[in-house]
Parts: sequence; structure tokens; C-alpha cells
Amino acid sequence: MSTPRIELKNVSKNYVLESGNEIKVLNGVNFSVASEDVIALLGPSGSGKSTCLRIMCGLLEQSSGEVLANGQPLLGTNYDVALVFQSFALFPWETVYTNIELALRPVGISPHEMRARVKKAIDLVGLEGFEEAYPRELSGGMKQRVGIARALVMERPILFLDEPFSALDVLTADTLRWEIVNIWHSKNTSVQTLVLVTHNIQEAVYMAKKILVMGTNPGHIRSEIVNDLPYPRDDKDPNFRRMVTKIHDLITETYMPDAPTASATAVTSGATTIQPKIVREPPIETLPNVQISDVIGIVEVIFDQGGRADIFELALKIGKDFGTTLYMVKAAELLDLVDTPRHNVILTELGKRFAEGDINSRKRVLHELFGALKIVQLSSNLLRTEESLRVPIDTLETRVGEWLPNENPHQIVETLIAWGRFAEYFGYNDDTKEVYLDVGQEPTV
Amino acid sequence: MRQVFVSPRYFSAADILIFLLLGACIYGIIAIGAQWQADYHPVTEIDLSIGALPRYALFSAMRGLVAYILSLAFTLVVGYSAAKSKKAERIIIPLIDILQSIPVLGFLPGLVLGLIALFPKTNLGLELAAIIMIFTGQVWNMTFSFYSSLKSLPSDYSEASKIMGLTWWQKFWRLEMPFSSVNLVWNSLMSMAGGWFFLSVSEAFTLGEREYRIPGVGAYMAVAISKSDTGAMLNGIIAMVCIIFVLDTFIWHPILSWVRRFRLEDVPGIAPEEPLMTLAIRESRFIRLVKVFYRRYLVRKRTRTELPEKSIPLPRMIGLTTRETRKIWNSSVKYVEPILWVVAIGIVGAGFMRLVNILLNVDGETWIYLLSATGFTFLRVVGALALSSLWAVPVGIWIGLSAKRIAVAQPIIQIFASFPAPMLYPLALAIFISLGMSLDWSSMFLMMLGVQWYVLFNVLAGALKISQELGDSLNLMKNSHWDRWTTLYLPSVFPSLVTGWVTAAGGAWNASIVAEYISYQGKTLAAKGLGAAISTAAGKPDFNLLAASLTLMIIVVLVLNQTLWDKLYKLAQSRYRMDAL
Repeated sequence: MSTPRIELKNVSKNYVLESGNEIKVLNGVNFSVASEDVIALLGPSGSGKSTCLRIMCGLLEQSSGEVLANGQPLLGTNYDVALVFQSFALFPWETVYTNIELALRPVGISPHEMRARVKKAIDLVGLEGFEEAYPRELSGGMKQRVGIARALVMERPILFLDEPFSALDVLTADTLRWEIVNIWHSKNTSVQTLVLVTHNIQEAVYMAKKILVMGTNPGHIRSEIVNDLPYPRDDKDPNFRRMVTKIHDLITETYMPDAPTASATAVTSGATTIQPKIVREPPIETLPNVQISDVIGIVEVIFDQGGRADIFELALKIGKDFGTTLYMVKAAELLDLVDTPRHNVILTELGKRFAEGDINSRKRVLHELFGALKIVQLSSNLLRTEESLRVPIDTLETRVGEWLPNENPHQIVETLIAWGRFAEYFGYNDDTKEVYLDVGQEPTV
Repeated sequence: MRQVFVSPRYFSAADILIFLLLGACIYGIIAIGAQWQADYHPVTEIDLSIGALPRYALFSAMRGLVAYILSLAFTLVVGYSAAKSKKAERIIIPLIDILQSIPVLGFLPGLVLGLIALFPKTNLGLELAAIIMIFTGQVWNMTFSFYSSLKSLPSDYSEASKIMGLTWWQKFWRLEMPFSSVNLVWNSLMSMAGGWFFLSVSEAFTLGEREYRIPGVGAYMAVAISKSDTGAMLNGIIAMVCIIFVLDTFIWHPILSWVRRFRLEDVPGIAPEEPLMTLAIRESRFIRLVKVFYRRYLVRKRTRTELPEKSIPLPRMIGLTTRETRKIWNSSVKYVEPILWVVAIGIVGAGFMRLVNILLNVDGETWIYLLSATGFTFLRVVGALALSSLWAVPVGIWIGLSAKRIAVAQPIIQIFASFPAPMLYPLALAIFISLGMSLDWSSMFLMMLGVQWYVLFNVLAGALKISQELGDSLNLMKNSHWDRWTTLYLPSVFPSLVTGWVTAAGGAWNASIVAEYISYQGKTLAAKGLGAAISTAAGKPDFNLLAASLTLMIIVVLVLNQTLWDKLYKLAQSRYRMDAL
């Protein structure tokens, strides 16, 4: 076997937050990209897939581990790679033609050859007639065509696509997906290898030969799935669907294990004895970064469907992508409002009562469920150490950072306050920057 | 009304305009060259007749433009370095912050004596001194704006250019320069105005027993004031307005309308009305001819370089691999850097020790006097801000609420704001004195004369962002006018008002130097204040007193920036931000 084009060996990446805390976004990633490969990095936001891509481009440096390009350690930018951006990253003051031509400026070829290559790229993506247009005159789909043409014109062997279709409407995305696969498959261009970053399962199955499913906290590779369906692929083909379901199940299992790790009942702990390293069991839950109103919304939708729903259909029904839907369901599960056997979502008794109630009875239920969370108890214990029942938000953030060393404490505290306000559990004053315990601890009815 | 010039068959009004401008530029360059090379002549006789004014105006305008070119060069080099190198950033940005708060006038004596010693035979020394004074009024703002533009470039763009392998030169011209151009040009327009502020003082000043005067509108005003010639003063004011107006119309607005294409948000917006000069350039036959020749030249150049011109970096030409180059670079940086640091710290340390030495020479009595003078000037600054806000806030909101009123008022306000207020001081002072006010009080109003426009300008910009929907809902709820002002208008403009205050306060401290110390009807009046202390010390020149009073002013301005203004700014950004909804 020939040397892989790119190889990651035990690559990790850390960031230092403003607060000085270090956060790990990528942990021990191993994989290799061979020539002729089409690889999809699939995962929800926060799984480090874009970070991974940028490390392979040489735009970011790994904190530890090794990155090899053609067998050699990668130093600086990887010039085997062309990159297509989610935001297109077109220069608004350049025309379609000059935007593409710009990529050839550093190459040093004759004007004649330059024109020929730009023309060919324009031809490949079907932009003829738009040469003199400025990006602002184009629709999103046409803009991304310019982005693709700019990548193709460089004639690099590897094409990286960073969520290339996320900013486009469904129909345009479908067409472009087909065209990209065609460009790769036809072997008419320099592109031999595709690496795609996406959170869309269908997209990954449609395009990739190898799907790397990534997980969060910190970002890592969950599993590697070989997808050997023949090209061109058809999303109505039963084998295609089977593959999609397989990945769905895998992700569902990852994010919503059938045996819940965080038991939402009977967790008590003294405030003074908490030592983050000793307190292992039961683990402190992290709060998914979800609006509480979204959680209530999803419970209502499930209730309307008779208290049971399939998570993929749920995602379609509420018009959110699968990852976001998963987070909402996960949040509902954390609060014990739903159960999730495999990829079904079923309302618990509590969830049903919750859905039937009015705003005040809902708040009462939430108050109780929210209060049962370990992280909430730890936080309220912290607040109780002060006579005023108030602590500066920074203090809480520091403590949360100790309890959950792999998380972004700022985000967790934000969610904690947002949920806590709704449940009438915590309050927050932005002028004094203090979090306080809602007095009485009983919702005012 | 848009089609001012009819498309020309041969030459047209547009061409006449352009020829006139070109002629003026060429004459200006020759005239100022002659003036610089002329024999050393420290006191130019100023002709107060109206016929002499155009020549003086041309001299002053050329000085402003030369200073601007220096500012631009400084901005590009220093702003770029600060944005690109973390180490440079840590030194440059605080330094600019300090330099910004230094009243430039304090350096006039040292600068002039030094430059005259450097060029004893010609006027170049004096001219350079004047240009550097104008330069210091322009440059800091520009550098800072350029630096922050570069820093705000979205990362996708720099990633794209890295992957494409653009050289730093290509990246600079294709990406970074276009991206920052709108801000840079807008700031240039404002900074030009800032540069005029001390024009009078830089063209005519006294050091000890000696008088210095170079031909220009500023010197014209100074002479008119010393001779109490009101007619000549008015002529000087008109000439100054003309300079500002001509530069705005023929230079800044066309450039501004041209750089608008470099905005990043590619929203299909309505094209703003084209300024006169842009039309003239488009309609001019002459410009078209130039364009045609330029294109032909480009084509010829292109066909000539048919050979591949791949740029090979120098290290690779002498057979070094990228990795080796990197190693050599890294190790040389490792050795050279500490040496540079030692040298830099040595220079700064020596300067600091010298300053401490000078300050120790100043006796306690003087310090007590200076501290109380600082208190007085502080009160004047606060007073000037309060009085400015009192009228400028309601008026700014009132104008900003109607598109029609904005269209009328904005260009007028801009000219007012660009006008160097010190030129108006003698006239204004005559009015204040006739009302029975001493300079102690008048100087506060004089300071207000210049800085009120900053408040007005910013409030107006803030008023544009007042939410129509919130206004409608207050209407529906039948709230009173009072509620409307206190709950909607004032909070909405507060962030802009704070920005206006910060700029105005900086301007007021600077203005105190000329507002508290004034030649009036042949006498020199001085109020009790830090500005007057600086002016007195600079005029003698008494370097000990000058160092003490300048240090005091820098400290006060920096401390206020770090405490009061920073706090207000944060409050404005967190609580009163409209888009946080």
C-alpha cells in the first residue's frame, strides 16, 4: 500500500479560554487519508471536526501527536489541499473571474495558461456567463460554485469541504452534492481525494466511502464506518437507507445510552466535602446547550403524537437537523421527561403530566426535576455558603470548570441560569454580575 | 440633477475642472519646494490683503497633504506590524495610547530648535516642524483604525489566502488593504480635520524672544489677530473653510465613494448618490485618454512577460529547504531578540531616568500650583462636555429622527467639525469679554467651541439607530413625550454619546493649551490651568516646567481613560446595546 496522503497519529488540540482554563477540543485522533478516498467527518457541533480539518490543512497546529503529509511531518500550510468554506469566503470586491484567478496568482504561470485554467474551472461548475458578476449578485448556490471553482483551479490532489452546503437551501445542496461526487468520480480534474466535514448523516452516506463518526467532550473519533455502496448513490435505495439507519443508531446510542448514566433521583452530597477528583460516581451531568423552551416544545410535540416518536421523524417534524434534535431530546431525558429506548422517544408519566399541565404546574414540575440534577445541587450548595445566597458569576464559573474539566464552563453556567430562571430556582443580576438562589425555593403561584 | 456633466465629445467642463486641479497641485508642489529651498527666513512678512490669501491657503493645504502622506505611510507600516506580530502589538498599542494623549504643542520648542539646527541654511527645518505638528494631529487615530480593521478580518479569508498560497504582498493588496480601506478613508477624512487644529500655532509661534512665521493661512490668522484686523480674520476663516471644503469635495468624497465597493457585507444596497468629483472623473475625456494609455501599457507589459514568472523565495534559490530556512530564522531570532530588548529597555530606561531627574528639579510650590491648575482644567473639561451635551443631545436626536434633516445638516456639521476652533478663539473671546467674563470662564466656552461637534456628530449617528418599532409601541401605549425621551431616545443614543464624550474629552484637554493662553489685542491673556502652564513653559521655554506639566496632563488623561471612560464604555456596551435584543 502506498503512503497515505495525510495521516493523523494520536492528535490532540487544546485551547486556552479567556478565564485561563484550558479546554480540550480534540483528543487522541487517529486516522489516515489515502489517495482515492472520500472521507466524511460526521458529528455534532463541538466534536472538533472543523478543528481536525484545519489541522490537516496546516492552518492550526496540533497540541500533541503527529500529522504526516505524504509520510513527512507537516510543517505550515499543506499545499496538497484546496478548501471550500461554509461561508464561501469569496472576495466581494472581485468578480467571479478574478476571484477564481486569484488562486492562480501565486502559482506563476503565463497569462495565457492562467486564462485557460480559469475557463476550465468555470466550465466545470457551470458558471459561464457569470464571469463579470460580483458575488453579491449571486445566489448562495452560485456563490458556492465560485468557491468550488476556486478550489478546483488550484489543481491540488485533495479537496476539503468544510460544511459546504450548510448555508444553502435543500434543493441547491442536493444538486451541488451530486456535482461534487461527479467531479471526483469522473477523474477529469486533479482531485483524487475528498474530505468532507458535515453534521448531516444523509450527506455523509451519499458522498463518503469512509465515515468517521465523531463524539464530543472532548472531540474524538467514535467509530469508523466503511460505506461501499456503489456510485452514483440513490437515497431511496434500501441499502442507502439501511446505512443511514445504522449510523443513526450508532449516534443515538452514543448520545442517549439506554441505561442513563445520570440518575435524576436521590443524589445528596455535602457542600464542603466536594473534591472534583474524588466525586466520580454518580457523575456530574453536563447541561446540553439548549433553550428550556425548546425542551418544552419537543415534549409537547411528542405528546401530540401520542407520547411516542421516532427521533429521525421528530427531527424532520420540527425542521431541525438531527444533531440539534438529539440535544433537545437529551435535555428532556436528563430531566426525566422522556425515555429513549433505541431511537424511540417515549414520554414518561412525569412527562405526560408535564405536557398536560398549565404554565404554573409545569414550572412546579420543572422546579423539582431541575433541583434533582447533581450540578444544580452543587451550585445551590455553593450559593448557600454565602449568607446573602449570592455569589459572583465568575466564582460559579470557576467551580463549574472544576466539576466539569472538559466543558466550557461559561456555556454551562449560561444554560444553568437560563433553565434556573425558568424553574424559579436561580436568578441572576447582570448589573452586579451575581447569581442568587431564588428565595423560598418554591415557585410563586 | 445627477447628470451634471453632459457626456463630452471633446473636452468639457469636467476636463476644465480636472485641469484646474492638476494645475493647482503642480503649482503647489513647485511653490512649496521653492519655499523649502529658499534661504532661512524665520519671520515671513504676512500680506493681509485678500489677493495674497489663495497662495497662503495653497501652502497650508500642501503642508496638510504632505503630513497626511507621512501619516499614511506610518499607519501602513506601524498598524500592519501591530496587527501581524503579537510582540509588536504589545509595545505599539499602549505606546499609541500614550502618544495620543500627549499634547503635541509641548514638543514644539524642542522640535523647532532641533530641526533648525539640522537645516540652518534653508526654511526646511521650520517647514518640517510645522508638518510634524500637523502629522501628530492626524496619525494616531489612523494607525489605530487600520490596526483594528486588520484584526477584525474574518478568519475564513485569511485561511483561504493561506491555502491559495498568496504571498504577504498579494494578501495585503488583494485582501487586507481593500478590507480596511473604508475605515481608513473615513478616518483619513476625520484625521485631516484633526491635523488642522493646531495649524495657527504651528505656522506662527514665539520661542523666548524669537518669533517664527512661515507663509500660510494659520500665520495669516495669527497676524490678523495681533493687529486686531477683524476683516482679515474673517477672510482667514473663509480661506480655511475653503481648504476644508475643497479637500473634502475633490479628494475625500470621491475616494470614499470609490472604496465603498470594498465593503465585506455584500448586501445589494442602494448606491449612494455619486459625489460631484466622481462624476467629473467619469465624464472627463482627459481621464479617459489616460485610462486608455494605461491599459495599452498593461497589455504590452503582459505580452512581454510571456515566460512563467514563478516567484522563487530567495532562500530556496541558494538551495535551502523551507525547513532549514525556518530553523535559521528561528535561531537568529532567538539570539537577536534579547539584544534588541536590552537596547530598547536601555533607551527607555535612560529617558525615564532623565525625566525623573528633571521632575525632581521642580520645587514643591510649583507642583502644588500645577496640581490646582490641573483641577481647574479638569473642571473646564467637564463643564465643556456638560454644556455641549445639553444642546447637542436633543438637537442631534431631533436631526437624526428625520432623513430629510440629516441630508441637510450632515455636510454642514462636518465642515463645522473640521474647522480648527482655535482660529475662532479671538473673535469668540471678544464676545465673551464684552459680556464681562474673565478668561478663567471664557476658556471653558472656547474649549466647548471645538468639542461640541464631536458630541453632536456621535449623537446624530446614534439617533439613526433608534428603533422605529419601540417608538411605535410607545405611541400605541399612549406614553407621554417625557417617557419617549427618557425610555427610548436617551438610552438608544447613550453608547454613541459615550464615544462622543471620549473623543470630546481628549479634544478638550488638548484645546486647553490654546484656550487658556491667548494673544488678545496685543496682550497675552492666561487663565489658571494646566493648559496655560504648558503654553507658558513652551513659550519661555522652561523645560523643567514643561516636562512637569506635560507629564501631569498625560497621567491625568490616561487615568481618566482607564477609569471613568472605560467604565462608561462598558456600561454602554452591555446595558444599552440595541442589537443585544
